[in-house]
Order: sequence, then structure tokens, then C-alpha cells
Amino acid sequence: MYCELANKLVVEAKRTEQLNSRNNARTTLPVHNDELVRNVLKEVTQLKKNLEFFKEQQDIMSTEGISVDSNVMKCQYFVNLLCLERNKRCLLGYQKLRSDMLDSMAWENNGMDVMGSNLGEENSNLTHQEQEYLKKYSELITEMKSGELTDIDLSGSLIPPKEVFIDVRVLKDAGEIQTEYGVFNLIKDSQFFVRQSDVERLIQQGFLQKI
Amino acid sequence: MGYYDIDDMLTEGSEVPCKFLQDIPGLGYLENNPGKPIKANAKLMLPYWLAHILAAIDSIPLSEDSMAVDEEEEAVPFLEMSTPESFSQRVINAIKTDPKSLDLHSINPHFYELAIKWCAIYSAKDLAKVVSDLLLQRSQDINNFAYSMSTTNKNIDSIGSMSNNTDIKPHNLLASSSFLMTLDELEKQIYRTSHESYKDSKRWMFQNK
Repeated sequence: MYCELANKLVVEAKRTEQLNSRNNARTTLPVHNDELVRNVLKEVTQLKKNLEFFKEQQDIMSTEGISVDSNVMKCQYFVNLLCLERNKRCLLGYQKLRSDMLDSMAWENNGMDVMGSNLGEENSNLTHQEQEYLKKYSELITEMKSGELTDIDLSGSLIPPKEVFIDVRVLKDAGEIQTEYGVFNLIKDSQFFVRQSDVERLIQQGFLQKI
Repeated sequence: MGYYDIDDMLTEGSEVPCKFLQDIPGLGYLENNPGKPIKANAKLMLPYWLAHILAAIDSIPLSEDSMAVDEEEEAVPFLEMSTPESFSQRVINAIKTDPKSLDLHSINPHFYELAIKWCAIYSAKDLAKVVSDLLLQRSQDINNFAYSMSTTNKNIDSIGSMSNNTDIKPHNLLASSSFLMTLDELEKQIYRTSHESYKDSKRWMFQNK
């Protein structure tokens, strides 16, 4: 029957959702299921053809003066229409989930001070349109942050600050990194005692680990 | 229950036994034999999203001249939904006897949401009462399992990643995992949320000591 493919798509979306709710790590987006989406779209064109065919038939029958059983027509129309609606809903649901995840990625990773270099490793899993969307959305975020609310770092950490100074350990070699407040020489496994607000971004990027 | 709600979509995908009340040509593909008409009284399983609308539409002809002719005819919907297996008397009885040991997930992974839809359509008061009792009874157990978590060995931080890894104590592990397998999707959601919040508050308390 129609819409079974769309169902598969929703099941996949559900699985993605579950994987992400369990994973404490950053959101990972699986590959966009191009083939399935294309097949669903093919089905949609088929349904559209059906509808056109019904319409033609109705015209022919009414011009020839054959009484049209409007009930039958109505039912056929409805079933087709409902299948279309269902396919639409499944596709939109799948895409919405993905774009929600892209949004959160844009807030978490790309909002850092090294703005502009969208170095998400997921980029290969995204479709062309999604990459475009991610870029535009990040631009929107930057625009908002450079507007009236420049004093607040909106994409900053949501965990309330507890201590002014913290111990951090370097997890990845990164050489010298220039932050807004000074220069750090990040050598792997070295430790620093620094102001939290200085290194918050480096923690978010995964260079440092808070102790 | 929003339009983009994945769980809602899956719920609407579950199949309901239906009976057609009219002959309709051209719809044979619903019965897996395209090209043939569907006969009145044909019984088949249809997904909920299709069935509930067809069951609601009355087939009064739209055009005005035929309206006069058919006026004495009673409005008949295209099909009739019969009670799905999930709400059969057998299941209702099982719910009434022991809600806690019932394997809801094997009955229907989206039991509650389908029940809500079903009650809304047919204003089934009895079913609504049974299901709300069921949720109340089971939520007590859900709460117990969500709360039970090893606090003695102090490795709360290492619990971290998995929300389903409830218990480290072996005797509890068996009991909770077999119970967790019987939860339906809505209950799983509740369990996960409450488990996370218990876990977070415990972690916060032990770190502040």
C-alpha cells in the first residue's frame, strides 16, 4: 500500500531521536536517507497522477451524460488525498527533526569565538540544502548576537557559574591560542588555574577539561 | 500531539480493523489486489490515519440536485472501525486484574496515545477510566524504578551516559530491566525524564557535600 515507505522514514527519525536523547555527547546526525526520500517523492507524483486521472474521468463521464456516482469519486479522492497528506507529514517530520538538530548544533558548536569556520564533522552527512540552511542559520545567530545584545554571549554556557577560578587540564595539543583575555600555550596534559569566563569557550570546543 | 510529533505519526500508523459499508471501485489496492473494487462488508486492516477520516465522513452527495433524491437516505460513512485488538475485552480484563505485570509494549508500543485518540472519537468513558487507572497504577512502579539507583558506591558520575542502565545491584537489575521492557513509548518517555531528574539531583547533592 501507499505510505509504507514514509513509515520507514518515521521509524528512522524515531531512532535518531532516541540515539540523541541517550548520547550525552554532542548531537550526531546520521546520513540523510536520500534514496528513501526520493522514493517517497516518486510515490507522491504517482498519487498526483492518480488525482489528475480521476478528474479527467469525471469530466469525460459528465460530458457523456453518464451519471457520476459522486460517492465513489469522493472516496477515491479522499483516499488519495489522505495518502498525500500522510506522505507530506512524514517527510516534514523527518526534516523537522533534522533541522532541529542542526539548530542545536549551530548554537552549541558554531557560536564560538572562531566563528565562520563551520568545522562540523557532520557536514558530509548533510544534504546540500541542509548545509545551506546551517550556514544561513549560523549567520542569523551571529546577527542577533551582534545586535542590541552584544553584552551577553547568548550562545555561551547555560550552566550557572559557581566559581570564579577553576583548574583545567589540556586534552588536545593546540599550540598557542589567542583568546580575548590573553595567550595560553596549550600543551597536552598541562594544567592551568584560570578564570572560568576566559576558558569557557575552549572547554566547549573540547580543548580543555574542567577539574 | 503536534503535527511534527514523531511518536504521534507512529501512533497513527498502527492498524485498525475496518469494515467497508459501500462498494467502491478502484480502491482494491487497499486489499492488495489493485484493479478490483472493494465490496461492501469487506473487512481489512487499515492504518489509523486513513481509517479515522473515512469513518467520520458521511457520504451525502455534494451536488444539489442529487441531494433532493437522496434526502430520505441516511448518511452512511464509507467505513466502520471496529475495536482494535489492543482494546479488546481480553486486554481490558488483563488490565483490570494486574496492571503492573502487563506487557503493554507487546500489546501496542503506542498504547496510550492510541487509547486517547480512540476515546476522543467514540467518547468511550469506560475505556478512558480503565486506561487512566492503568497509567496511575503503573506510574507508581515507574517512579520506583526511576528512583532506584546505586548511590552507595559513589560512582554517580560514571553512570552518565546510559539512562537505561538503572541499577548496578544485580538483583535489582533483573527486576527493573524486565519491567522496562514492558513499558509503552509514553511510559518510556516518563521513565527517562524522571530517571534523569533523579539522577541529576543526586549527582548535585553528592558533589556539594
